Amino acid sequence: MFSFALKNILFYKGRSLTTFVLTFVSTLLFVVYVSMMDGSHKSMLQNAIKIYTGAIEIYHKDYRDIGGNEYLIQDTSAILKKISQIEGVEAYTSRYETFGLLSSKNNSAASMVAGIEPEKEKSLSSISEALTEGEFLTEKSGNCIYMGVELVKKLKVKLADEVAFIGAASDNSFAADIFRVCGIFKTGSFEFDLSTSFLSRDYFDTLMLSKNKASYITIKVDDLEHVEAVNEKIARVLDDNLESLTWKTLMKTMVEAMEVDSIFGYISLALFLVVIFFVIMIYGFINVSSRIKEFGVLRCVGISNSNIFSLLFYEIFILSTLAIAVAAPIGGYICYYYSINPIVIEGIAEMYKDYGIISDEIPFDFSVFTLAWNILLIYVLNFLSILYPYFYINSFRPIEASRHV
Amino acid sequence: MIELQNVHKYFFKDEPREVHALNNINLTLEDGEFTLFSGPSGCGKTTLLNAIGALDEIDSGKIYFDKTEISALSDTARTSLRLNQMGFVFQAYNLVPVLSVEENIGFIMKLRGFSDSEIQKRVLEVASMLEIDNKLKALPNALSGGQQQRVAVARAVAAKPKIILADEPTANLDSKNSQKLMDMMKELNKKEGVSILFASHDEYIFENVRRIVKMNDGEIVDA
Repeated sequence: MFSFALKNILFYKGRSLTTFVLTFVSTLLFVVYVSMMDGSHKSMLQNAIKIYTGAIEIYHKDYRDIGGNEYLIQDTSAILKKISQIEGVEAYTSRYETFGLLSSKNNSAASMVAGIEPEKEKSLSSISEALTEGEFLTEKSGNCIYMGVELVKKLKVKLADEVAFIGAASDNSFAADIFRVCGIFKTGSFEFDLSTSFLSRDYFDTLMLSKNKASYITIKVDDLEHVEAVNEKIARVLDDNLESLTWKTLMKTMVEAMEVDSIFGYISLALFLVVIFFVIMIYGFINVSSRIKEFGVLRCVGISNSNIFSLLFYEIFILSTLAIAVAAPIGGYICYYYSINPIVIEGIAEMYKDYGIISDEIPFDFSVFTLAWNILLIYVLNFLSILYPYFYINSFRPIEASRHV
Repeated sequence: MIELQNVHKYFFKDEPREVHALNNINLTLEDGEFTLFSGPSGCGKTTLLNAIGALDEIDSGKIYFDKTEISALSDTARTSLRLNQMGFVFQAYNLVPVLSVEENIGFIMKLRGFSDSEIQKRVLEVASMLEIDNKLKALPNALSGGQQQRVAVARAVAAKPKIILADEPTANLDSKNSQKLMDMMKELNKKEGVSILFASHDEYIFENVRRIVKMNDGEIVDA
């Protein structure tokens, strides 16, 4: 039946070419579409985590719900030592965050002021890369403050201007100081840029009496796919009063937005697959309808139904394999190329900033596994598409089919 | 041996346009017969041929093929019976257009699991008997009507069936080709011992067969 199917394909060139082109185009579009969908999800996630939130963060159990200096992490260095020995942890740092009032000559604004370790922060977040004016912090930046661009606008300050800070130190005593604006950043997240500013921990700890204390510890993992496994390992080494949370808990809104996006993505994917299926099936049905007499004669002379099915199966198998063999490398290459050299559409980040998009790049994702399941799905759709035509042929009695016009 | 007992077949049963296509057919066909079902158009000769060939179902009665009751067989068993015991020659040749002459002739043998060497030998033998051995590599659409019908006969006879059912095999042939085909089928019947049943009103067949079963309005009027 295989060689018979092959001869049919070669003999009916127009029919075969149309089926080939349909499968080729479907495969190509499907592979590229899935790559874009996966790419945008990964990008949303990576961007969100990259800005400031870590893949994993460690808190005192009541810090997030109640807050306050009573729930700071104590003896941070001992915890960092334990974390450093856990496989899958790529980088980590502790942060001390407090809320206070920043005032310039012209204006005042509430701000979250965070003491960070500038060098470690570079490998954990994109805060340093978000610099637009001035310079990023160093360990010896002293009273330099690194402010969000929207906060700068609100306070009506510029580089080298002074801002006064009033807040509460870690022992709840009064803390006040004068900072100098050394750097301005823009992450693309309006809220973040309006409400956040940073100082080097060395200086900030002295002011806030927060040496070896932290609001939380943030951790970068070597592979986001393994974040849950790493989190479990971390949880095992922590004291009972501490908790370790992944980005999925830390960024619930973001996760919900991604889930909604995923649902719409999968709905459109399903619609896309339905369209592919019906196009191939309807074309297959038209083909089979024009061959009813041929199948009728074959059944008259003694070809069984299973042989007819095999014939249709081999025909679609050969054409699908050829089409996929051409489309998959092309689609794969397109996805691979654009995953390295993303398409840039000016202004897209502004449109989608609420979804954590901070770049004008259209992200693609290349994964051999994704490519494999895409191909498998197209194969399955092609095979399913022969079922209805097959049952249609079988609805004719052999002699009736052999006389079909 | 084929035996038909009280066979009835209706078209459009229980409808106003009901046709009693086969009316109480009782007939015995011995091995090696060279028989024609003849009669005017619509008399039921093709229906009878299809019923014997397990191509069409009957409404009542029994048809035995070597003591196997065809009318009681499943669709799969009937298909298997057609493949292994019967050969068919159609009015419109019905060759497989994508296969060459030799592949068409060996097609049934291949389905029945004959070895390639057996197929090759038999194809040559049958093709030379039917004088198409010089066209073995050609595709059917490159042949004349007479040649295509000879290929159809060769396909039917190659796998050595017990019986060949030929429905109007000369209808699309001119008189010269009709006579030639009949001579060849007569020789096959004689040489191979295969039973051949015709449904036709062609005078060339009428003149060449050994037995004529005359039909009218679905009934056998003379056997």
